[in-house]
Amino acid sequence: MTEQDRRAGAENRKKLAARRRWAKAAAVYVLLLGFSLLFVGPMAFAMLSSLKDNPVEWPPGLGSPQLSLANWVAAARLGLAGGGTAFFGQFAPGAIVPFSITYEVDEGSEPETPIVRVPRRVPGAGPAAIIAEPFAADDAVVSEVREARRTTTDGVVRVTYEFDITHMGSDMVYGKLPLDIEVPMYQRFVRATLEPNRIERLGRVQSWNNVTSGVIPYVFYNYHRVFRENYSRATGKNLFLAWIRNSFMLAGIKVVTTLVVASMAGYALARLKFAGRKALFNLVLLSMMIPGQVTFVSNYLVLRDGIFGLTKLLGGGSLINTWTGYVVSTMVGGSAVFIMKQFFEGLPTELEESARIDGASVLATYSRIMLPLAGPALGALAILTFQGTWNEFFWPLVILTSPPDKYTLTLGLLSFRTTYAVAFDWGPMLAGTVMSALPIVVMFVVFQRYFVEGISFSGIKG
Amino acid sequence: MACTPSVLGFGRPVHGDTTNISQAGLLLIDSGQPDLFYVDIFWSRGLFSSGAVEPLDSYIAKSKVLKTTDITPSLLSAFTYNGKIYGIPKDFNTLALFYNRDMFDVAKAPYPDEKDDWNSLTDKFRKVQAGLPGVYGIALAPEYARMGAFAYAAGFSVFDARGKSSVTGSQFREGFEFYTGLAKKGVGIMPADIGQGWGGGAFAAEKVAACLEGAWVIGFLRDQAPNLNYGATLLPKNPRTGQRGNLIFTVSWSMNAQSKHKQEAFQVLELLTSPEAQQWVLERGLALPSRQALIDNPYFKRADKEAAANYIVFRGASDGNVFPFEFAAYGDDWMTPINQVLSAVMSGEQTVDVALKEAQKRLDELMK
Repeated sequence: MTEQDRRAGAENRKKLAARRRWAKAAAVYVLLLGFSLLFVGPMAFAMLSSLKDNPVEWPPGLGSPQLSLANWVAAARLGLAGGGTAFFGQFAPGAIVPFSITYEVDEGSEPETPIVRVPRRVPGAGPAAIIAEPFAADDAVVSEVREARRTTTDGVVRVTYEFDITHMGSDMVYGKLPLDIEVPMYQRFVRATLEPNRIERLGRVQSWNNVTSGVIPYVFYNYHRVFRENYSRATGKNLFLAWIRNSFMLAGIKVVTTLVVASMAGYALARLKFAGRKALFNLVLLSMMIPGQVTFVSNYLVLRDGIFGLTKLLGGGSLINTWTGYVVSTMVGGSAVFIMKQFFEGLPTELEESARIDGASVLATYSRIMLPLAGPALGALAILTFQGTWNEFFWPLVILTSPPDKYTLTLGLLSFRTTYAVAFDWGPMLAGTVMSALPIVVMFVVFQRYFVEGISFSGIKG
Repeated sequence: MACTPSVLGFGRPVHGDTTNISQAGLLLIDSGQPDLFYVDIFWSRGLFSSGAVEPLDSYIAKSKVLKTTDITPSLLSAFTYNGKIYGIPKDFNTLALFYNRDMFDVAKAPYPDEKDDWNSLTDKFRKVQAGLPGVYGIALAPEYARMGAFAYAAGFSVFDARGKSSVTGSQFREGFEFYTGLAKKGVGIMPADIGQGWGGGAFAAEKVAACLEGAWVIGFLRDQAPNLNYGATLLPKNPRTGQRGNLIFTVSWSMNAQSKHKQEAFQVLELLTSPEAQQWVLERGLALPSRQALIDNPYFKRADKEAAANYIVFRGASDGNVFPFEFAAYGDDWMTPINQVLSAVMSGEQTVDVALKEAQKRLDELMK
């Protein structure tokens, strides 16, 4: 073997090694990409579907008229023309809404002037079905439908028609201006000022939910419905906002109670020497091993009787169907105490010893020395507790029953099942679900580090 | 509705979604539970036998507003258990054949009507398919809740005199073969096969010319396909017996046996089932009334597609072999084997013989 051959061999080996390294890196990236798609994909697709007119369309597509810039511009213009703003439209007195629509027919047949109607549409499902709203049809007058343009290319005749819808009334402002346009079957729809929400009757009818919606209700139609349609019949308040508020409030309160109780209990179990400490800790562990479904009936009874009648001493009654009952019964979990105990045990004892030499009491050592050091653990615990409470479903379902103003967001979404989903109206259901997931997604992005730390502290979730 | 808040204020409604089984559990342990609640016919037998529901006979006897003769008999008997009335039906639904007029027009096929039997209806669907390639005749969910109507038309009854079920008998088989045969011949299609969750979805998307649904599809179509030009007619007759079959889906208002306000609760119940309340619900197009007198309601004579369809669904309760949608204490368990073999036969995985034998075997195990 010559020197040259040896050199070539070494070079080859180097090349091979480099290629192998690249292949490895590529494999890792592909794997990571695959995983992130797997986890982010469903959420992204739910968001996309929640914008669609038919969220369960088949085959599912990645596009939607609600995502096209042209439709946003059209929705904004029509919203302004209707007398509202570009973002939130309406149909107000004096409004003149211009509209155009284009059809095509094969050469030889004569296109017919479309029939334009402003229909009286009564919602058929969901809470909207029992709300009586005025019809824009009462004041809307459709002008004569004019033929604006006609072109013939390759044996196909394209005709554009124009008309205006005018509000002839004096004072009623309508939230919605629905529209139906009908043509004979041989006349094919090409485009319109705003893309129709649906095409019906084998292509004969183009139909719009609300042509003067403005951009926000057009793009976020289902979201808009969630807020618009859900009002409490007991108090008249907006239910969805109330549920969001309740969930934030209860999660916030539980974060505070958990941090206070768990850090104190964790410190005591980790550092203080007292009789029965081991047994107590075992009890904490035991409480983590029993699922809530096993204890819920007895917990329910305890709350019903006001914690063995204690609340009666304070002038209260049953704790069922109260936020107090929910907070009291879930103030702190065994896992939170466990996380804090493990963390405190990991801190060097010298710190406390020096504090004691300086004459600090147990309470002072805990609050001045140990607690400030526990920042990362407290952060992780706060996030896990918030997330856990936000998503909690079973226990609130058992104790919070009525009125709906009292529900948390998860219970509110359940009530969507009986109002929307039974009528196969999946849009608002999906919109509500996406909105309920958003705070956690945002929190995860902002506090990623703590999430990971929380898991590595405890080796368990939640 | 003319309910004063003070009357409604004493009870706490529970979540509409709580199944009646867990509801019964809460009713038995907690006197703070609501005084009135819904009972779905499907779960009614288990709930009534638990003792958690108050029999209403003595209240009705004293009532000036509510008489047993006011309520459609087949509905009331559905909530009668061991000779006692445990609930007043709130509203009901049956199955009707909804069809797309445009499709029949375009294909130049005659509309389905009340004179149709199984064979003539199949022919009409075939004509639609011939005129409109790519469209199926009818959406067929692989569920007893649809197919059962055809078994009843052939004379099937869920339980025989000994309380057993025979699905290998000729009557069940006749309904089963017709229903699954439609799918195998390509006249019908399972909604899932065309990317739809249910018959009404396939109907709204104009992928099928007809579907078997109840009045619940009307509200759905109002939102999802407001211009769909549909009609409704009674289910076709069995050519041998000359009878139709149908199922009744219904929900009652029932009273908590542990209620502390029984008299007041009954007053609310009277209001909730009053002619005025039912008229309001009917006119909003939400549900069909349980009071017999409302069959003469001017609403049903209106010249719109919704009123006409509601009238057909209303009449479905009293034409032919009609049974409530319940299976004694077996509930879902009774239907599961049948639904599974329906799906297997319709997708061509099993023959009718094998399927029915398998279903029978599992039913025998269940009813041991």
